[in-house]
Amino acid sequence: MRGTEKIFIRNNDIRLEAEFFLGSKENLPTATLVCHPHPQFLGI
Amino acid sequence: MYNNVVSGIFNIFIQNNVSCLRFNFRGVGNSTGEHSNGMGELSDVKACIDFLVNEQKCENLLIFGYSYGAAIGCSVVKYSKKIIGYCAISFPWDFMGPDFKDLSQSEKPKLFIQGNRDTLAVYENFENHYNFYLEPKKQRIIDGADHFYSGYEQEVAKEAYEFYRSLID
Repeated sequence: MRGTEKIFIRNNDIRLEAEFFLGSKENLPTATLVCHPHPQFLGI
Repeated sequence: MYNNVVSGIFNIFIQNNVSCLRFNFRGVGNSTGEHSNGMGELSDVKACIDFLVNEQKCENLLIFGYSYGAAIGCSVVKYSKKIIGYCAISFPWDFMGPDFKDLSQSEKPKLFIQGNRDTLAVYENFENHYNFYLEPKKQRIIDGADHFYSGYEQEVAKEAYEFYRSLID
């Protein structure tokens, strides 16, 4: 199994810290996107 | 980049060899920029979707979001036809206001996971919010869990993965 890759995704002038795992060919082309909570909210 | 709920979901997809991306919103961790009250964060999710669709050539995409990430992530469900559904964990409807509830309305499959001891995404209001959404939809109540799901991460991850399987099988 391959590992995860630390990447940055560009959103205009903003760079988003991200972690990406490329799955097996059998499971492509489906992917999942997981959105974190925000630490400024809800005390997380 | 660490959160117990997000890591549980991220890891179960890795264990099952499913492509998965997680990210920090602007102004969080090593992401640049500043918090922008939701509007900029919506574009952050869209940028991540563009990465998966345009650079990784993904044909189908599911969005999973926890707490604030549920409100923002699920609110871009209409952004692309390649998004085939979403899973919202402790969607903070009362905290975020009505705009994100409207934006996350969709005829695509939806799973809502909620702890019955959650006082932030208030459990007592869950059914009312859930009833707003169109079918197809499902709910999973995690007995004993509050907003932080300590000790319930694997149960949440298992529900998330089963939802994924139900959509692609």
